[in-house]
Amino acid sequence: MHTGAEDANGPVVSFRDVSKVYGQVKAVSGLNLTLRPGETVALLGPNGAGKSTALDLLLGLRNPDAGTVEVFGTTPGRAIAQGRVGAMLQSGGLMEDVRVRELVQLACDLHPKAYPVQEVLEHAGVTDIADRMVNKLSGGQEQRVRFALATAGASDLIILDEPTTGMDVTVRQAFWGTMRAQAELGRTVLFATHYLEEADAIADRVIVLHRGRILADGSAAEIKAKAGARRVVFDLEGPIDETALRGLPFLTSLSVSGHTVRIQSTDADATTHAVYGLGLYPRNLEVTGLGLEQAFIAITDAASAEENN
Amino acid sequence: MLKSFSSATLIKLEILRTLRNKKFMFFSVIYPSVLYLIISGTSSSATIPHTHLSMQLYYLVAMASFGSLTAVLMGNSERIAKEREKGWVRQLRLTALPGHGYVVAKIASAATVTLPAILVIELVAAVLKNVRMETWQWVALTFAVWAGSLVFAALGVAIGYIASGDAVRPITMIIYFSLSILGGLWMPATIFPQWLQNIAEWLPTHSYAALGQAIELGDAPHMKDIGVLLVYLVLFVGAAAWLYRKDTKKA
Repeated sequence: MHTGAEDANGPVVSFRDVSKVYGQVKAVSGLNLTLRPGETVALLGPNGAGKSTALDLLLGLRNPDAGTVEVFGTTPGRAIAQGRVGAMLQSGGLMEDVRVRELVQLACDLHPKAYPVQEVLEHAGVTDIADRMVNKLSGGQEQRVRFALATAGASDLIILDEPTTGMDVTVRQAFWGTMRAQAELGRTVLFATHYLEEADAIADRVIVLHRGRILADGSAAEIKAKAGARRVVFDLEGPIDETALRGLPFLTSLSVSGHTVRIQSTDADATTHAVYGLGLYPRNLEVTGLGLEQAFIAITDAASAEENN
Repeated sequence: MLKSFSSATLIKLEILRTLRNKKFMFFSVIYPSVLYLIISGTSSSATIPHTHLSMQLYYLVAMASFGSLTAVLMGNSERIAKEREKGWVRQLRLTALPGHGYVVAKIASAATVTLPAILVIELVAAVLKNVRMETWQWVALTFAVWAGSLVFAALGVAIGYIASGDAVRPITMIIYFSLSILGGLWMPATIFPQWLQNIAEWLPTHSYAALGQAIELGDAPHMKDIGVLLVYLVLFVGAAAWLYRKDTKKA
């Protein structure tokens, strides 16, 4: 809505072959990434996957060792100076010895396209603590104040690094409600998270990051499909021929414990059919959908196994 | 226009925070006066060699300068290092605030502490030590010591950026003591060997004290001292602003 005509179709963010190395560790390695206007994107990955580094690069807090990072077709620093980016960092501290309202007022005054303070306080749900000193807040309250700072003005891109850390369940739900409202205004939202259900519920695009690389990039449903969308569990009597089971079509992973066989499959119908085809008689057969969490574990496991081989 | 306005809010908030920090304010304001009373204890009106200044006059400038130096150097360097560690500086870098905005705000908040400290020590000198000067001298002295402290406020910002964590205090201390002693804030620099005097002459603290001493003698401050201070100011502010933008280490 605030984007000019010249970049209405242009990418909001673009990473081209971006690498960042700390000593021996490749925090981000050959990253290519484009965010389009209006997307809500989850950046998913275990600790050390490179999420925070990627966000630091995006915000110009660090410079890449190789490649280029552009935000709204310019440098991160310039995009920030234009007030087009609002960000909430995990590592972002707050000024001490000031009241919440004073700090939010500062953020509003610093934003080229600021909202009224009262509105920012309300949307972030911090009106009731507006007169408290910043250093007297709980972890969850601090997070909401950070969110208020990130949304002090009409930024076109909002970056959130693990925003709900320290929030309890009800606050978390309210928070995501606020976030959805932001997205509905046409904002592009990028958030890093390790709460996988959040990525599933909120994002319309999920990027899985592992050891500084993109492992998967698609809708939550696509990510699930990529890892093996369904889980098939059954019991078998007698000795189990694992080699035969491994040959099942569409199988992505297999585990056998005692009489119980657990299979992940991208086409559960075909796999189950083939089980009968082997002349086996599966008992207590269950076919269930795979949550994003398992999908995510499956993808990162597969990647780690590949790297170790 | 917009940017200078936004910096003004930060300056206001930084000053407010400093005023709220009552312990820091109290000690910074009282400390130089207490030292002054202790050091300039004698009531003799003999002049200090090579200076044409009485003990009371010499130490009025020395302690006012020393107190200002303490407040701005200690206050800024440690606070900034702490703010970097806590990540507030990172958060601030995600706003449209220009690099110099932060430095200017820090210097301004330091200046709010030094002004009352200078006024109090002058009051103590006049009332308890019977120091007498012309009105213009009092006004000029206040202004000179106050304006000069900005140079060291900028140095404090720069130190806060170079050092981090446990290193801040020792580094600040070393700079603080060497500048104070060599600049002649504790004892007249004329007692040093000549070679040391030759070096000391170019230190910012030496020029800082010289501003006040010239005013006490009824002269205008020397252009050389003003020049030296201006060069240091530009150097320190430049370094501080550059380090603020450059600060890409884990803060």
